[in-house]
Amino acid sequence: MLLVCGGAASGKSAYAESMLCRLSGSAPRIYLATMMPYGDEAASRIARHRAQRAGAGFETRECPCGLPEVSVPLDSAVLLEDIGNLCANELFDPAGCGDGAAGQILRGAEALRKNCRCLVVVTNELGSGGADYAGDTLRYLRVLGEVNRRLAAMADAVCEVACGLAEYYKGEEPA
Amino acid sequence: MILITGPMWSGKRELAKQLLHGDEAAFETRCACEVQSLAAGREDLEALADELTQYEIVTASELGGGVVPVDPREREARERAGRLACLLAERADTVIRVFCGIPKVLKGEGK
Repeated sequence: MLLVCGGAASGKSAYAESMLCRLSGSAPRIYLATMMPYGDEAASRIARHRAQRAGAGFETRECPCGLPEVSVPLDSAVLLEDIGNLCANELFDPAGCGDGAAGQILRGAEALRKNCRCLVVVTNELGSGGADYAGDTLRYLRVLGEVNRRLAAMADAVCEVACGLAEYYKGEEPA
Repeated sequence: MILITGPMWSGKRELAKQLLHGDEAAFETRCACEVQSLAAGREDLEALADELTQYEIVTASELGGGVVPVDPREREARERAGRLACLLAERADTVIRVFCGIPKVLKGEGK
């Protein structure tokens, strides 16, 4: 399992996708998308991304919450993007599980890690911008921080992407 | 003194505990946590940094990675927190940054 972390528009998505393609060989590629399909803007964004990834040989499955219920073929290569969305959905969406968010996401990631051939997870580091936020935002940052730490402990390799370049904190870039 | 820095909730306190071999009883006397919060209320940051060197471990959260706050007091607090961290890093034998729970040595032994 590879954990790819980075800020907004840091190039983490493209990097994660290229690493998954490198790792997957001939395995079927599955993209687990996490955006809530609310509103026209989200719908058109989702449609565009789906079409883009179909070209790269990905099958897209929507998974805005309930990660443990997702089942993927045993030999598949999975790209899960991203944990920041999943955390927000689980914490704040009516369909999410509220305070159980961290446990739910970690259980789901562990099940995926065990069952597929290779797993790349994309997440966001948002904890360097201070604590001057209202209660729910602070709660979100705390949960995301916890999930990130535990995913990093679970992963074989952890990197941070800036300007499209990866710096490894654990393990090495897949060969 | 060892300075541990990194984003909020990245695992700084856990690392401090590990480095003190789980000495819970003396933790508060050996380690000063989240000292960025002290910076706003102090006139002389150099003196504050000097005082903090008496601890074996000091932890400070990075605050400067977001949008510049509109509120002048928040802006000032963020500025001073960053300055304090630089002064502490100058005085520290070792500086470690924790990212997603993973320590990386920025200064001193192990770099």
